[in-house]
Amino acid sequence: MMTNASEPIIAVRNLKIGYGDKIILENVNFQVRHGEVFMILGGSGSGKSTLLKNLIGLYPPYEGEVWIEGADMVAARDDQRLLMFRKFGVLYQGGALFGSMTVLENVLLPLNEFTDLPEPVKELVALAKLKQVGLGAAAQKMPSELSGGMQKRAAIARAMALDPRILFLDEPSAGLDPVTSAGLDHLIKELSHQCGITFVIVTHELASIYSIADRIIMLDCQTRTVITEGQPAALREHADDPWVRRFFNREPDPIELPPPR
Amino acid sequence: MTTTTQNELETDVQVTPDGHARVVLHNQLDAQTAAACWSVLERNLGVPNLKTLEVDVSGLSHCDGAGFALLQYLNLGKMTPTAKVSVVGFNDKFEKVFREFTPADYTAFRPQNSTRKNSLPAEVGNAVAQAATDLYEQVNFLGDILINLPPTLVSRKRMRWPEVRRVFETAGANAVPIVSLISLLVGLIIAFESAQPLAQFGAQIYVANMIGLVIVRELGPLLAAILLAGRSGSAFAAEIGTMKVNEELNALETLGLDPIRYLVIQRLTAGILLTPLLACYATFMGVLGGVLVMLGLGFPLKLIFHQLSSAVHLNDVVFAAAKGVVFGAIVSGVGCLRGLQTKQGPSAVGISTTRAVVTSILLIIMADAVFSVVFFMLT
Repeated sequence: MMTNASEPIIAVRNLKIGYGDKIILENVNFQVRHGEVFMILGGSGSGKSTLLKNLIGLYPPYEGEVWIEGADMVAARDDQRLLMFRKFGVLYQGGALFGSMTVLENVLLPLNEFTDLPEPVKELVALAKLKQVGLGAAAQKMPSELSGGMQKRAAIARAMALDPRILFLDEPSAGLDPVTSAGLDHLIKELSHQCGITFVIVTHELASIYSIADRIIMLDCQTRTVITEGQPAALREHADDPWVRRFFNREPDPIELPPPR
Repeated sequence: MTTTTQNELETDVQVTPDGHARVVLHNQLDAQTAAACWSVLERNLGVPNLKTLEVDVSGLSHCDGAGFALLQYLNLGKMTPTAKVSVVGFNDKFEKVFREFTPADYTAFRPQNSTRKNSLPAEVGNAVAQAATDLYEQVNFLGDILINLPPTLVSRKRMRWPEVRRVFETAGANAVPIVSLISLLVGLIIAFESAQPLAQFGAQIYVANMIGLVIVRELGPLLAAILLAGRSGSAFAAEIGTMKVNEELNALETLGLDPIRYLVIQRLTAGILLTPLLACYATFMGVLGGVLVMLGLGFPLKLIFHQLSSAVHLNDVVFAAAKGVVFGAIVSGVGCLRGLQTKQGPSAVGISTTRAVVTSILLIIMADAVFSVVFFMLT
């Protein structure tokens, strides 16, 4: 289904999410535009990853709607949701590559399951995706033989195997050194420009936010909702909320130290 | 000329008698249409001694990764090995993506067919070396335990008795229902099956003697130990294996705590203490099963007990308890060893638990055989 480019590719309306009796976020509203790098920020425990899992349909929200390319993920039946899963790719925090398969087999998996392409063409698709993320030479390696950054790039290649228009990334820079992290940021920007992929990224890496985010939302565990939305540079300078300013300026929580003896 | 339309893709194929082919693609070439397009091309381009193939993609409005892969495949000459192939008519955007993946990349990245297999002597050698390494590690582990056991046992602080109590409860008390059911049923089955042939000789009363000997000497301790291996030996391996995968064992060592002293001794102690009790309980339930069958056959309880007491002596019970001690040490020791030997990777913990159960049962049966010989020699 083709979607009008002027419409948001993702629209979240009045979302209320949590675990069991515990409400983590409520009244969450935002939209993601075609081709933008959209980031979900917030402190530890603010519900960023939980929100992401609700967006991609892994957890059902208590209330609200999640529209992805014109279809409501929440109201969809199970069989419809399975079809919707093919519209987007997901990178999990640890990469989540299948350890018993080579990197190439990991990328081939969605192609084998969801297309009728002949074997040599599938192999060419997978190799091209791996080259795109700079891992062509690692195609035959096992995930355990790769570094953390390489595993995440391989997982991005797997997520892109079916050419989705949206990629959800859960803390892509977590546990990576600054150089590898910057390389991953560059890759995301390249893919966004070249392939027009829309990125929804959960992170709290300030360097990534400043270098690649087009727009952000920030979650707050006190108010349990979105406290600000906009462009990172503008929010850094002009945010009304003191917590947002502290976040962007890396100011620590005030700690009461014992008086000197 | 052949024109085929599949959903959003139109494919025109033209092959001249002098060996020149031209393919023109229109609209969308994606994962869905590329598969059908492949069939059309394969059907029409299978001409012998094709000299040239020109693929015109100027009519394409959309081309995804699968589409580019199909064009790459044609460009590499894989479908038409005799022809000189050219893909023409790209717009700037498509051209850039297409040229990014070169034939040299294909050669460099694709899997090489390396079906090198070891020869039989090499396989045998590897297996022997692996068995020798495993034996060495088992002996090493036994040595570590013998060194750590006495000082840990005498130190109340180092022993961590609450951990022993926890293991005793999870591996022992929580196993009582399953041990009860299986032992009772095994006793029932043996008594029932043997009662019929013995009836032919008028010797049904000796079912009680047989139950007493078989259950007390062999099956009681054996059932308890096998159930313990399946239930708790595997749990020990999984628990310690997961700790190793999560680097908790490294953390213990760098804190100055020996994993043998901190994790293994407690499980070993609990195993040694609980298995004789579990073996005696399994024996009791097995005999009870046999007694129930005998009662069902019409024998009075007093007579059954008389037969039992004439067949089973105190040394049989002591021997069963002794077996329990050894089996308990085997199950908990092997479970912990396999846990400590866990390697990295997603299937490592699963492999460790399987190895724990298999090795435990193997060693239990071997130890049981040794016990039988020793018992025969002593009596």
